[in-house]
Amino acid sequence: MSLLHALPLAHALVARKDLPIPAWLFAWAASIVLIVSFFALSAAWREPRFEEEHWRPIRARLSRDLLGMPAQLLCGAIGVFLLGVAVYAGIHGTEAPDRNFTITFLFVTTWLGFPLFSVLLGNVFKPFNPWRAIGRTVGGGFRVLAGQRSAHLPYPERLGRWPAAIGLLAFVWLEIVYGANGGVSVGLEPHAAAVAALLYTLYTLAMMVLFGVEEWCERGEIFSVYFGMLSRLGCFGVSEGRLGRRRPLSAATKWATVPGSAAVVIASISATSFDGAQDGAFKNGIEHTFHWFVDRGVGLAGALHITDTIFMALTFLGVAAVYLIGVRGMSTVQGAPPAKKLRSGFAHTLIPIAFAYLVAHYFSLFVYQEQAQFTYLLSDPLGTATTNLFGTASAGIDFKVISANAIWYVQVGALVVGHVLGLTLAHDRATAYWGDYRQAARSQYWMLAVMVAFTCFGLYLLSVANA
Amino acid sequence: MSSNKARAVVGALVVVVAVVLLVVLKGNNNGDAANTDGGKLQTIVVRNAKPVGGIRQLTYNKGEQILFKVESDVADEVHMHGYDIMKDVKAGGSVTFDFPATIEGVFEAELEGRKEQILEMTVNP
Repeated sequence: MSLLHALPLAHALVARKDLPIPAWLFAWAASIVLIVSFFALSAAWREPRFEEEHWRPIRARLSRDLLGMPAQLLCGAIGVFLLGVAVYAGIHGTEAPDRNFTITFLFVTTWLGFPLFSVLLGNVFKPFNPWRAIGRTVGGGFRVLAGQRSAHLPYPERLGRWPAAIGLLAFVWLEIVYGANGGVSVGLEPHAAAVAALLYTLYTLAMMVLFGVEEWCERGEIFSVYFGMLSRLGCFGVSEGRLGRRRPLSAATKWATVPGSAAVVIASISATSFDGAQDGAFKNGIEHTFHWFVDRGVGLAGALHITDTIFMALTFLGVAAVYLIGVRGMSTVQGAPPAKKLRSGFAHTLIPIAFAYLVAHYFSLFVYQEQAQFTYLLSDPLGTATTNLFGTASAGIDFKVISANAIWYVQVGALVVGHVLGLTLAHDRATAYWGDYRQAARSQYWMLAVMVAFTCFGLYLLSVANA
Repeated sequence: MSSNKARAVVGALVVVVAVVLLVVLKGNNNGDAANTDGGKLQTIVVRNAKPVGGIRQLTYNKGEQILFKVESDVADEVHMHGYDIMKDVKAGGSVTFDFPATIEGVFEAELEGRKEQILEMTVNP
């Protein structure tokens, strides 16, 4: 403890931390989860209901306006402009993470905002994606000048979404391990974030040149893949160039057909878990390991980075192990498809869990920090008190907007709803894979155990937060 | 039929486990709301720019009066985060904070210049 505090402490991004959920609420939630799960098993349907999207187009005019070239150009330009502002503010602004536009914009507004809007409105990141906008503009320019389409290498199918899964872990590692000076949520400094954004831009554009813009966005570009995954939960989607409505959750059933998709959703769950646990459930373990390294002559900062990295990797392996045990269990049920098919076939059932974890852990941070984003960070993006663009530079965050009770109910509600949706998808997939519904129900004892494990682990993390 | 019976038994078991869990955990929760630091003057002593005895933990219920004094051997600004109250302290001097617990959550106070946390304050609903 004392050694950890010998490290220079970065400002926590947010000055109010959540209270751990009280034991009675933990018990209620866990009870509801158990009871709901049991009744889900016995009262469930026998034919798959989510394998078909039942897609219906919205009015042609509205679809054309929203998807047309002017809207695409405008959204792309906004995306490129905001990325530019974030990089500029990171390089030229203050190094205090809470006063600089960059950190809140990248790690709160974008990283937590797009998941929310993706679920509600569909894949909204796609038009705003700055790298896609640059890639398409350059590609279009090349086509006009050279009179031919640019040639690309065929993307190696077996790599699938693995680059995105690894990238997602790397992004979160950068956010909470690399910059962590003593266990704060976003300890990264603005300058480092801006440099990372520039490096990622170079890497992404290079990959787009190699494999093609849309191909890379579909498989390797971290944010496209991740936000796109979450958008599959919602009821808005584009099909054959037209915007339409579909049955909620149905698009998720076709998401995990690309290799590495399971790794993406497992990476998301484990990243959120690690962030929630480092200050609570894992705190003692992290301190113990940290001291072990320090006693063996590793420097303080190095020891903390190594320790956090180990715990993050273990979290990923742990989450993956729980899922793979569930898959393994299902494969023992009579009439089961091959293990490989099961492994990718049930990956999408974890997407609601990943989203629930995200809401549970970052809901309050988002509510507080968006107040900053749209007041003082907008008026004074550099945080140097040199500008007051919209007259809101001296505003503060009102921490009273949500009570501790409201936060608890949102957290627990998110986990319970995510649990139910995950079970729904898993049961539905089982009815598609097992012709006999009794065998399908039997296979689902395994997925039920997986979901209960994730939900109770999530509740447990919330109950010991900051303990 | 027998599988329906088995289900009924498992269902009953699940409900029993849930109820037991609820009762056991609910029982644990009573009592921690009573002992708070509300209204009592607490003193945090800072030596060599570090809080003596480690970061001080203080707990309040919403609506209680928060009252603590920081005695410091270094000059700095004490910043109570979340409530956003800042007060200067001179080397060898002391400064008193006295305000109502209006915001729930966990908050830090630190020596702002040195980024040294001296207090972790919990305000329960």
